[in-house]
Amino acid sequence: MMAASGAAPGASDPVLTVRDLSVISGARRRTKKRAILEGVSLDFPPHSLTAVVGPSGCGKTTFVRSLNRMVELTPGLTVTGEVRYLGQNIYDRHVNPVMVRRRIGMVFQRPTVFPTSVFENAAFGLRLVHEDENEVDRSVTEALQRAGLWEEVKDDLDRPALSLSGGQQQRLCIARALAVRPRVLLLDEPTSALDPAATQRVEATMQRLKEDYVLVLVTHNVGQAARVSDRIAVLQAGKLIEVGLTADVLERPREKFTEQFITGRFT
Amino acid sequence: MDDALARSEAAGPEPLPPPSSPSSPPTVDVPRPRRSPGQWLQIFVPYIPSFVPLAIVAAIVVTLVLVTGLAPLNGLFTSKFAPTPSSGPASWGILVFVTGSFLTAVPALFFSMVIGLGIAIASVVYLPRIVTRFLDPCVDLLAGIPSVVYGIWAYLYVSTYFGSTLNPFLFRNLSWIPGVGGPAPPLSGLGLPISVFILTLMALPITTLLIRDALRTVPRDLWESGLALGATRWEVTRRVSIPYGRGGILSAAFLGFGRAFGETVAVAMVINVEASYPHNIFQGTGTVASLMFSILDSAYGNSQFLAALCYMGLALLAITLTVNVAGRYFISKLSATEIAGL
Amino acid sequence: MALPSVSTGATPDDNILFDRSARTRWRIGFDRWAGRLLPFLFLVAILPILDVVYYISKSALPTLTLKVLTDTSYRDPDALGVPIITTAEMMTLATLLAILFGLFGGIATAEFLSERAAGWARTFANMLAGTPSVIVGYLGYFAFCLYFGWGYTMIAGVLTLSLFMTPYIFRIADLAFSSIPRHIREAALGSGARPYQYILKVGAPIAFPQILNGVFLAVAIGVGETAPIVLTTHGSVILPQSLLSPAQFLTATIWENFNSPFPVAVALALQAAFILLVVVVGLNIVVRIISARYRKRLEGLFQ
Repeated sequence: MMAASGAAPGASDPVLTVRDLSVISGARRRTKKRAILEGVSLDFPPHSLTAVVGPSGCGKTTFVRSLNRMVELTPGLTVTGEVRYLGQNIYDRHVNPVMVRRRIGMVFQRPTVFPTSVFENAAFGLRLVHEDENEVDRSVTEALQRAGLWEEVKDDLDRPALSLSGGQQQRLCIARALAVRPRVLLLDEPTSALDPAATQRVEATMQRLKEDYVLVLVTHNVGQAARVSDRIAVLQAGKLIEVGLTADVLERPREKFTEQFITGRFT
Repeated sequence: MDDALARSEAAGPEPLPPPSSPSSPPTVDVPRPRRSPGQWLQIFVPYIPSFVPLAIVAAIVVTLVLVTGLAPLNGLFTSKFAPTPSSGPASWGILVFVTGSFLTAVPALFFSMVIGLGIAIASVVYLPRIVTRFLDPCVDLLAGIPSVVYGIWAYLYVSTYFGSTLNPFLFRNLSWIPGVGGPAPPLSGLGLPISVFILTLMALPITTLLIRDALRTVPRDLWESGLALGATRWEVTRRVSIPYGRGGILSAAFLGFGRAFGETVAVAMVINVEASYPHNIFQGTGTVASLMFSILDSAYGNSQFLAALCYMGLALLAITLTVNVAGRYFISKLSATEIAGL
Repeated sequence: MALPSVSTGATPDDNILFDRSARTRWRIGFDRWAGRLLPFLFLVAILPILDVVYYISKSALPTLTLKVLTDTSYRDPDALGVPIITTAEMMTLATLLAILFGLFGGIATAEFLSERAAGWARTFANMLAGTPSVIVGYLGYFAFCLYFGWGYTMIAGVLTLSLFMTPYIFRIADLAFSSIPRHIREAALGSGARPYQYILKVGAPIAFPQILNGVFLAVAIGVGETAPIVLTTHGSVILPQSLLSPAQFLTATIWENFNSPFPVAVALALQAAFILLVVVVGLNIVVRIISARYRKRLEGLFQ
């Protein structure tokens, strides 16, 4: 049940480092300031899957959206601190979010396929930059394979993406994100809208993907975290209260809150 | 009496009617409920007021058809419109005006769609909410101004600009385009260009509103997914929002066209109504609506003239009704919740 | 379930930190410029409105005196007293008729008709709303002026105008009642109210602001209409004595005088246009205020 960690985390440089990340709402206006995230610092080593868990409202979605600058889409939020991708701060003045998001991809809670064909969905990100049809073709095929969807759609790539089942659509979203060759993939509760069978397939995909990518998984399902992740980070009320190898955190939690959260028993 | 009772009780309860077949359930005869006249009334009365619009439209069609008498007029489908020719029989070619209607409505549709699309994108994608909450109603106000007011403003004021500046400019620089060369534009500034201008302004609030609504229906998730793939706002709009809202955009085109095609008074005031094909875009011509309006009193008593006008009316009605119904159909049909692949 | 094999040879582009390619910079720049330039298209819509208001006001206001507004003596045709009062009278009548024709139909469509029938009824209402005004004018002319033999009279104009305004009231009554939250409707009907009781006691108060709005909108549309009026009732210089006398509508004044060679007549047309603008813009603003208040007031209802 516990995921075996691949390469030992920490053996090579972390791909993503977060230092003192804080997100505050209402800092500029007269309304009350509220800290959604406070001073979170965390590393994400290569070839790993880190699960970010915590109760509702603890800020885990905001956290993960800060990693690819999607948090800027919500008005009224101020972000301080650093998020470094391979050493470069993504919030640097000279960096545009568009540049960042090709390297750090995201999959959302509900499957959000575009109303076009399966192929065009997967090719979406590629078409923005690449012109060469062969290149696009190859990348789409590869992405669909990596997402574990290729076998099911290879016979008819032109069918409407909306005709796929929920689980297939979500894997298509993963393929779509993978097609632009990111290094990091952020997944915000990707299976919460799926039935158990579809969930299992997405989890299997995630386990395969972590060999090549850095995955950050937000989940409220501790079981899922136990099944697929190498490391777990626990957030509560905007603060990072514990982080470590999955086995360690689940069997020997250091913080009281972690233990309560994992067992579900809040005394 | 007691004997009868005793005898019937002794015989047991009345036997059930035999079943019609071994497997079907026992049938019982229940008399069909009779609806009282009051109930029939209750069911049908609401239909009467609901179909008043139908009655009016039907009355319109019937009236027009009756006036034409379905008479086969001379030269009805030609382009020669001469009610009182110096020689020969009168010719009632309505094609001139149908062409005129298209000549004004199509460019107006084009301009109003392009501008409307731009405004809608600016409003939905780029401008902050506070600004659009103020600016959007301003565009909608454009629809509230009566046609005559547009007409008089254009006739007295805008036409001077067209006559002195814009038309000569077009004439001098673009005369290589067919239709722009030829006789010099009149100084009055009236004619096709200013008609197109007015119609664009009148169709603009419709197109802007509908495209804006279409773009706003895009779910937030979808929009963010596009951005998360490293696309710019423009790219997500172009590749996701517009395809998603293509139903609304199509209906904007249809309804905007219907508006431009059917506009009567403003066009009548600025188009320099003439019953002939223009030699170039600067001369006067007529649209169906504007001609029907401006010339009705001249047709008094002349049954052929009246019939011709009503034929034009039927054509106008057919086109506007089709376009309007089609436009509304697309709003519901193609809003891209195309579930399960169809 | 056999997992597809993944080629472990191909790895993500390690070498590229952020995508700073020229092409991406161009894309970002294009987006930025689109955001800066597209908003200016609003000017294409807003400048004409401002210009219309400015030009008409500028031309009409200097010569606009109270006398012009109220003088109804037939000796002085250069006053707007006659058209203004006539317009007010005709609009009142036409609105009442339009409400008569349209309100019940709209409510009936929302409340009583099956979905299919309602769809048809709405289609016809939309067809009527989309009919060019000149065609409704033709109906009025041929049916009322000629066939009924009324000639160019006020009643013909009022009737024609009301036919034109009907679909707008119909549609908004339909919309107002259709958008009453289902739970309210079900609560009322479920506790034994008969349909007409529900409509009068529950539906009407809720739908009233919207319907009032619709009436104002229909009035704003009707008062600016020219074709149905001009074709059915011709100019007169005095107030209409009865329904069967000719009547002068405000828009008709504009239409008849705008291209006159006499400056006085043109000035009259401009003054009429000014009054019309004031009324129409005023009505539009009132409509907006009512919708805003209505939304706020009934927010609790639409959970």
